[in-house]
Amino acid sequence: MSLLELEGVQKRFGAVWALRGVTFAVEPGEVVALVGDNGAGKTTLMKTITGFHRADAGSIRFDGVALDARQPGEIRRLGIEMIYQDLALAKMQDVASNIFLGREPTRRLFGTPIRIIDRARTEREAEVMIRKLGARVPSVRYTVGQLSGGQQQSVAIARALTFDPRLVIMDEPTAALAVREVEHVLDLIRELRKQGIAVILISHRLTDVFAVCDRIVALRQGEVVADEAIASTTMSSVVAHIVGAA
Amino acid sequence: MTIEAAGIPESKRGRRGRLMVRLESVVVLAVLVALLSVLSPYFLSVSNTLNILLATAVIGVLAFGATFVIAAAGIDLSLGSVLGLSGVVGALSINAWGMPWPVGLLFCLGTGALCGSINGLLVARAGIPAFIVTLGMLGVARGLALVLTNGVPVYGLDDAVVYIGQGRPAGVPFPVFVFLAAAALLHLVLGHTRFGKYALVIGDNEGAARAMGVRVQRHRIALYALSGTMAGLAGLLFMARTNAGDPTGGINYELTAITATILGGTNLFGGRATIAGTLIGALIMGVLQNGLNLLAVSSFYQQMAIGTVLVLAVWLDQANRARGQR
Amino acid sequence: MKPRTRTLALAVVLFGVAPAATTHADDRPVYGVLLKTLSNPFWGAMEQGVRDGAKEAGVQYFMQAVESDQAAEPQLNTCNTMLERKPKAMITAAINSTILLPCLKRANEMGIPVVDLDANLDHEIARKAGVKIAFTIGSDNTAAGKQGADWLAGKLGKDARGAVLVIEGLSGNITGQKRAQGFKEELAGKAPQLKVVASLPGDWDRQKAANITNDIMTRNPDLVAIFCANDTMALGAVESAFAAGKGSKITIIGVDGNVDAVKSIKSGRLAASVAQLPYLVGKQAVAKTKAVLAGKKADEYTYVTTLVLTKQVLADNKDPNLKYLK
Repeated sequence: MSLLELEGVQKRFGAVWALRGVTFAVEPGEVVALVGDNGAGKTTLMKTITGFHRADAGSIRFDGVALDARQPGEIRRLGIEMIYQDLALAKMQDVASNIFLGREPTRRLFGTPIRIIDRARTEREAEVMIRKLGARVPSVRYTVGQLSGGQQQSVAIARALTFDPRLVIMDEPTAALAVREVEHVLDLIRELRKQGIAVILISHRLTDVFAVCDRIVALRQGEVVADEAIASTTMSSVVAHIVGAA
Repeated sequence: MTIEAAGIPESKRGRRGRLMVRLESVVVLAVLVALLSVLSPYFLSVSNTLNILLATAVIGVLAFGATFVIAAAGIDLSLGSVLGLSGVVGALSINAWGMPWPVGLLFCLGTGALCGSINGLLVARAGIPAFIVTLGMLGVARGLALVLTNGVPVYGLDDAVVYIGQGRPAGVPFPVFVFLAAAALLHLVLGHTRFGKYALVIGDNEGAARAMGVRVQRHRIALYALSGTMAGLAGLLFMARTNAGDPTGGINYELTAITATILGGTNLFGGRATIAGTLIGALIMGVLQNGLNLLAVSSFYQQMAIGTVLVLAVWLDQANRARGQR
Repeated sequence: MKPRTRTLALAVVLFGVAPAATTHADDRPVYGVLLKTLSNPFWGAMEQGVRDGAKEAGVQYFMQAVESDQAAEPQLNTCNTMLERKPKAMITAAINSTILLPCLKRANEMGIPVVDLDANLDHEIARKAGVKIAFTIGSDNTAAGKQGADWLAGKLGKDARGAVLVIEGLSGNITGQKRAQGFKEELAGKAPQLKVVASLPGDWDRQKAANITNDIMTRNPDLVAIFCANDTMALGAVESAFAAGKGSKITIIGVDGNVDAVKSIKSGRLAASVAQLPYLVGKQAVAKTKAVLAGKKADEYTYVTTLVLTKQVLADNKDPNLKYLK
């Protein structure tokens, strides 16, 4: 049984069919690239997996468990995390709050049944995570809006990794980064694979894809048009699939 | 796992303030207090301070409710009308429907909670903009209050109710205790619980909140219900102070409440708010009105003064914030 | 601009606003005078009377009003603030019969006599609340209403037939209630064929009265007269009647006899106004307060006369009371 199994997933927005029946699978510890032109449905598909959208038809199973009607919070608890293209950070909150967003540790207030957020623990553990990632964020008390783009991404990554996910989805993580930073993200993906964590990488940068992925799935107009191991395909073949010339 | 993230530029400056309130609000309040102490010999006294707190209590409680809603990038224009309706229902329940006074008080809160919940449901489920929904509730609640009373205040409630409005345990007016207790409790909720945190995040980046598992629409409904309940509490205090269910009570109060909230540093578009800040904001308005009253300044000038202070205070804040950001 | 400079700018602005009316203390006794609002010429005339009366009596006073004659809670807050200055007497024109009672009770406790200016307090309710009123001075509102009815019956004839509209004052306000009541009872006796088809609250508001007039003119095409509990509303009714082309068919009567009403009567639009003499009320209030403070006993009710103003009366200019019309 695969870690993640999608079968015939469909999604439409009004009269527009964004996903016309997507079927593929991801194995534990596998790094799968999801490629396709703009509007092919990549982000929509990922957001359907994470519960942000609800599929109109088809099934999504994670470790055998059906994800179809679940809320984003549940799906995160099951072990799927996503680093969104726009990072999905609360810019007016601090780094620690963002890392623990949705899963804040709480403690009892003076022994009463009232539960308040355990700020000390939040900061402590966020600090640990940031150091572990080696991210250059001076303090977890900084407001995210004050950080640079690269630092903000570190925060988004830290958030995705803090609760031991088994599948991490990355939506265009290298799009706005400099060369050295891109390499760090690729190193991170390699490290995740080493730890047995599966990764779905959405990227339009095929060099990155060929550097780090095991398999490549190409999406075109809401359907899978190619699903191949990296070793048995070439970049030009992939491009051909993306534009529909294959 | 180590990623050497060298080369990512460090943030130039700007530690996030750990203060509960914006420094600017406190400065404005302090300047006002200092100024008025000099201009009027009656200003700085225990009894006048209690006066200010008493006069600010109703608006303050209302502003606390508004703070939660505005934190989540919403707005509630129905606060004043719900205040009026709650007071009316409470008074009628005691006078006309023969309920014991504690039940009457519950009716006040319940009316507020109900109106707030209706607001929340319409905003969250029907997707109607909050401005429109609460504007509608403004009219409906006010009209209902007038219908129930035929336009005439329902006067003469229980002695216990009068005590709540006019009693002075230990020399401090009872409404002041309620006001400050509400401030403490709500400050805890907004600043230290998940409930409050999620309100702020929804206002900051609703998509992020949703993606991270916050039940956004449910939370919205709860926030409007809370705001309505605060309007109900304000209506309770108003009813107690005036010993009447007055259908014209609270007209235009929502504007004052929202002004107090903004003066306290709440971002009108959501994402940043504290109850302590709103408390300072409400006090700024209370001190200003009290001071101008003591100086026998015409109420026409008072309105100009309040408008001016609001714009100046927000300008101060924005300019300082821009300096402190990258 | 640095934050400190900004704060200084704020302080400078406030310094500019504050000296607008700072009363300097001297040795003369100081009375506190609380009106409803200054946006009605009636109260302007009252203030003038207070000013002249104070000059004659050799006393000082400080005066406050609120932004509208419906702002009940602000008036209560203002009243409380005025007590901080420990005036020798509190002369108050309450917005409704109940709102100021908590404050007036405190005044009693502080040994400050309370004067009911313009007869806004209901003595029964005040007594129940434990408030002692030194004296009430104002126009006899019931008599004023009666005068209006008498004049109308005289003009149209005691056998006249038709529909009459009564536009009352602010709900729950006793002056409005008395005027409307006095009019209706007297009219029933003097011209029984003139039927009052509607008696609706106009809240002292010009626009509201205009709308009510439009609605009733539509409903009752045989409308022959409108009695309004004050001139502001009467002038609103006048506009509606003339706009509908019925200005000559409908006789409109107001109460107060203020400057705008006089102009309208002279130009042939408003038919009549039962003029109060707020100038005299204010002047005599101060004189009587001085007497009470000196130990003299005052009557519970002091009524200042009212007179019916019409084009004829103004043209003849024979009535001695006309000189008190401000």
